Amino acid sequence: MSYSDREILETVRMVELETLDIRTTTLGISLFDCADPDAESACEKIYTKVCHHARHLVEVAESISADYGVPIVNKRIAVTPIAWVAAASGTDDLVPFARAMDAAAKEVGVDFIGGFSAYVEKGFTNADRALFDSIPAALEVTDHVCASVAVGSTRAGINIDAVRRFADAVLGAAARTRETGGLGCAKLVCFCNAVQDNPFVAGAHIGVGEPETVLNVGVSGPGVVRSALERLGPEPDLLAVAETIKRTAFKITRMGELVGREAAKRLGTLFGIVDVSLAPTPAVGDSVADILELIGIDKTGGNGTTCALALLTDAVKKGGAMASSSVGGLSGAFIPVSEDRGMIAAVEAGALSLDKMEAMTAVCSVGLDMIAVPGDTPASTIVGIVADEMAIGMVNAKTTAVRIIPVPGKGPGETVEWGGLLGTAIVQDPGKFGCSAFSARGGRIPAPLQGYRN
Amino acid sequence: MNRRFLTAEDVRRHAESTDGDLVVEPNTVVTPQAAEAAEARGLAIRTTDGNVWTEPAPDRGPDAARAVRSLPHLPEPEENPELASTAIVTAVGRNRPGVLAEITAAVAELGGNVHDVSQKVVDDFFHIILTVQLGDAGDFGAFKESLECMGRPDELAVRVMNERVFRFMHRV
Repeated sequence: MSYSDREILETVRMVELETLDIRTTTLGISLFDCADPDAESACEKIYTKVCHHARHLVEVAESISADYGVPIVNKRIAVTPIAWVAAASGTDDLVPFARAMDAAAKEVGVDFIGGFSAYVEKGFTNADRALFDSIPAALEVTDHVCASVAVGSTRAGINIDAVRRFADAVLGAAARTRETGGLGCAKLVCFCNAVQDNPFVAGAHIGVGEPETVLNVGVSGPGVVRSALERLGPEPDLLAVAETIKRTAFKITRMGELVGREAAKRLGTLFGIVDVSLAPTPAVGDSVADILELIGIDKTGGNGTTCALALLTDAVKKGGAMASSSVGGLSGAFIPVSEDRGMIAAVEAGALSLDKMEAMTAVCSVGLDMIAVPGDTPASTIVGIVADEMAIGMVNAKTTAVRIIPVPGKGPGETVEWGGLLGTAIVQDPGKFGCSAFSARGGRIPAPLQGYRN
Repeated sequence: MNRRFLTAEDVRRHAESTDGDLVVEPNTVVTPQAAEAAEARGLAIRTTDGNVWTEPAPDRGPDAARAVRSLPHLPEPEENPELASTAIVTAVGRNRPGVLAEITAAVAELGGNVHDVSQKVVDDFFHIILTVQLGDAGDFGAFKESLECMGRPDELAVRVMNERVFRFMHRV
């Protein structure tokens, strides 16, 4: 079998010039068997089990990179939500669990370990409460641990009490990581309709129904889609745009399928899913906003943005679904603000407001991601922002998330540099009208009619 | 009892009740803290089959065991055993006499067998695509590294990718 020059050059170009990469290989490890009445023993087991299973993860990812000539950027671990594992210990302080995860992540050399998590759509167990209370300290004292909480779902409704506790955790984490611009909050996310096999941080974890160990892969390639649209030019109609994105997503996903199969084989585990997500990075050209602008929006956030994003997300999913039988996770387009040069430029230009972002999350694959707000934002305002976002997810039966960073000491319009993959953000104005009485009511929003599908 | 882990606490309890060696199943995972605690008390950790405990291979679970048993359980695009360990080499650079010979000589030296060549010259630049079959002992990583280090960076850029990447991307 031979390939035409065009085919070969297309692939080489994707990797060399268009920053196509395997964004993450994430090894999921169940920690259910680490539960222990003695918290110290539980932590010991967690550390040992993660190291035991992930010892060769980085080595395997690098060997695949070398053997296939395909870059694999991140190596990560996702574990069972710690609230489930720690429940047997009956302790109120779960920071040692985070420390154990962190120590294991350092030992095996991965970038992040996700799973300092809890599911509280309808209510809290004692362990869930302990986890929420431990989040700020856990994020302060660890480097690699990511926390996520599921506070709502289409089946269960929204737990506003949990949203309130999440807002407190966000403010707590921001205060404790004041020196780094509230960076602790970048490792904390809340979900409506959380995805149990998500390989991307900060929401990575493996839930119930997942196997003992599983290898999930996240592929990305906004640069590839962008270049394909550049070559398509401004003339062809929107159907042609959708078709171009779909074909490109197909090719990107095939690469994920190959790496997923190979990594699982080399680790001797199960290949779980490929998450095909256009996940931007601060690198030039690796931007989802650029794609929206190539589709024909003057500036991301302008009129038409939501529709263009809907087209993009759907075409990515369709291309992915044809390329792999194991498409899962979040799959679609991420729109983290600080991590995407085009998005930051749009905020700077005054084109992209928090309100428009919220509208966009109704059709993107996740939600409000890496949004900076003033450090003195009241908890009830954060509750309102999160509750709005959760409602969009609940009613539309889609995953939505909020990763919000109240930047200590900064006001609207000011810039904060986080550096690395997290990029730069401009602090956004959450508006002057809050919802303190709504937030103070607390309680639970019942499941919507859409949830009654039996 | 088939315990999954042996913790420091287990060692302490064991030492309180008896002074014999610790006996665990061969697939029990001993935590570093437990190993330390046992050593501090002068206890050896043995397995039920009489050996000194060593870290077992990770038990990846029943699904993984099934998946590994039945590999490859998913069809490759256009299955073709002849293509095992084939590399696609692309090179671009400033044209000068002998450059193709240099690249193919390097490929031959590394044990590669060129199956297909395509070359184009536009103005002062050349562009070569080689399909190379690596030898039986072909180490892809080493092959890639040696070729990609060829020439000065501003003169010649060589990229090596596994053929399987192209097969997955362009064939179904």
